[in-house]
Amino acid sequence: MNIIETQNLTKSYAGVTAVSGLNLHVPKGTVYGFLGPNGAGKSTTMKMLLGLTRPTSGSFVMDGKRFPGGRTQILKEVGSLIEAPAFYGNLTGEENLEIIRRILGLPKSSVSEALELTGLTQYRRRLAKKYSLGMKQRLGLAGALIGRPPILILDEPTNGLDPVGIHEIRTLIRSLPRQFGCTVFVSSHLLSEIELMADSIGILNHGRLLFEGTMDGLKSGAAAQGYPTDNLEDTFLALIDADNRQRGGIR
Amino acid sequence: MSLALECRKIKRTGLTAAFLGGELLASAVPVLNMAYRPELYLHREASPVNVLLGAGWQMMVMLNVLLIVTGACALYHMEYADNAILKMCSLPVKESGLFFGKAFLIAGLSAVFLLMEAVSVAGCAVRWFGTGREVCGEVLRNLGFSLLLLLPAILLALLIASVCKNMWIALGVGVIGVLIATMIPAGQFAASLFPFALPFRTLSGLEQETIRGYVTAGAAETAAISVLEIILLRVRRAFQ
Ligand SMILES: Nc1ncnc2c1ncn2[C@@H]1O[C@H](COP(=O)(O)OP(=O)(O)OP(=O)(O)O)[C@@H](O)[C@H]1O
Ligand SMILES: [Mg+2]
Repeated sequence: MNIIETQNLTKSYAGVTAVSGLNLHVPKGTVYGFLGPNGAGKSTTMKMLLGLTRPTSGSFVMDGKRFPGGRTQILKEVGSLIEAPAFYGNLTGEENLEIIRRILGLPKSSVSEALELTGLTQYRRRLAKKYSLGMKQRLGLAGALIGRPPILILDEPTNGLDPVGIHEIRTLIRSLPRQFGCTVFVSSHLLSEIELMADSIGILNHGRLLFEGTMDGLKSGAAAQGYPTDNLEDTFLALIDADNRQRGGIR
Repeated sequence: MSLALECRKIKRTGLTAAFLGGELLASAVPVLNMAYRPELYLHREASPVNVLLGAGWQMMVMLNVLLIVTGACALYHMEYADNAILKMCSLPVKESGLFFGKAFLIAGLSAVFLLMEAVSVAGCAVRWFGTGREVCGEVLRNLGFSLLLLLPAILLALLIASVCKNMWIALGVGVIGVLIATMIPAGQFAASLFPFALPFRTLSGLEQETIRGYVTAGAAETAAISVLEIILLRVRRAFQ
């Protein structure tokens, strides 16, 4: 069963089509990797799913609720981290999460749980503006994970983390479906990273979906079309490159 | 609910201290007037409250409105500075709830300052004019009138602050608005309906008819600016 499904989701800005005719299918209880180069439209797609920006056309269904009518209902079930972490600099990490907890109406213990999950417990009393980049990213993640929402939308969650942090967060994301029954929709530039976390993937380039399916499906499909498959990063690059060439060299 | 949240968010911003400071200053105006030049005011025909407000209200309300403009900018700067607004907008609440929460917060703070000013005016009336209890009724009527007329100014200041992501632009626009408001002469009814100019009016010397006009205008502008903000937020979401 698909927990997120989009139908011809499209977003155009004056002169640019950021996302065009997107049909995504995210199966429930899995990690879905959303892959694409800079400017492919990953963040724009995620912003539309959260109602942060209105689609130019098309619509989507999330956990049985159709946008835009069910916006508030949808957002109750979604934890999110979009682009750079967003927080109140004048509040501590703990106070920031407390605000979110109150809005969501969660039990008091959910704050400390989110802090613990993201390894921020010892820094909880520090002002968020005094956090390091990686701590800010963790705070953003904590704000997404708080209350264990059934759906998580994470835009490049490992941005700014050190190698240990990347490994830690990756393991955490990987474990979420089993631990809490979450569905995770996670974006990245790196196929190598997605490969380690995701059950299925979607590859986006210039706002269009080039591929959707499992990692094995990608490998066999690429092999059939004569792309290199021994290194997945090469497969990804070859796919993007072929698509770019087909569009007449526009980049 | 959203008011309680807004109160939590302003921790460490110095906002309440700034309001309190500005307020003490405004409340000191009638006291200083009476302490340093009582001969100017003591033998007038009008009621003591009217004399006191006539002497100091322009100054007091200017401080009030400037505090409101600054407060509105600070409240939205907090949202925009580290992009907290993005997180707020992806939570299951309406973005307009943020606006009205802040409006309640500033209106509450304004009510506190109007009360302090009322106490100061009433105190002066008792101390220098020797009036009795009856002064309270008059002062409270003025307080209610001023609070209502401050609402459009509060909402307009917040609307400007919510639209301009750059705090300095919002502050500049707001201050220019206040300066324009101070230049509007009292006789001009239409021009004095400008939201920042509205609170400069006091009950003294106004006909029942005009008072009713101002009260209606205050309520209508409050509603109109609220609707405008909701529309602006929708339009912005379409283009964001
Ligand atoms: N508010 C906006 N106005 C105009 N164009 C925009 C706006 N937001 C995004 N775009 C454009 O939409 C396209 C997709 O941007 P988006 O941020 O979704 O890419 P992305 O896949 O998240 O890239 P990255 O990997 O760099 O984060 C880009 O060409 C970008 O310039
Ligand atoms: Mg992005």
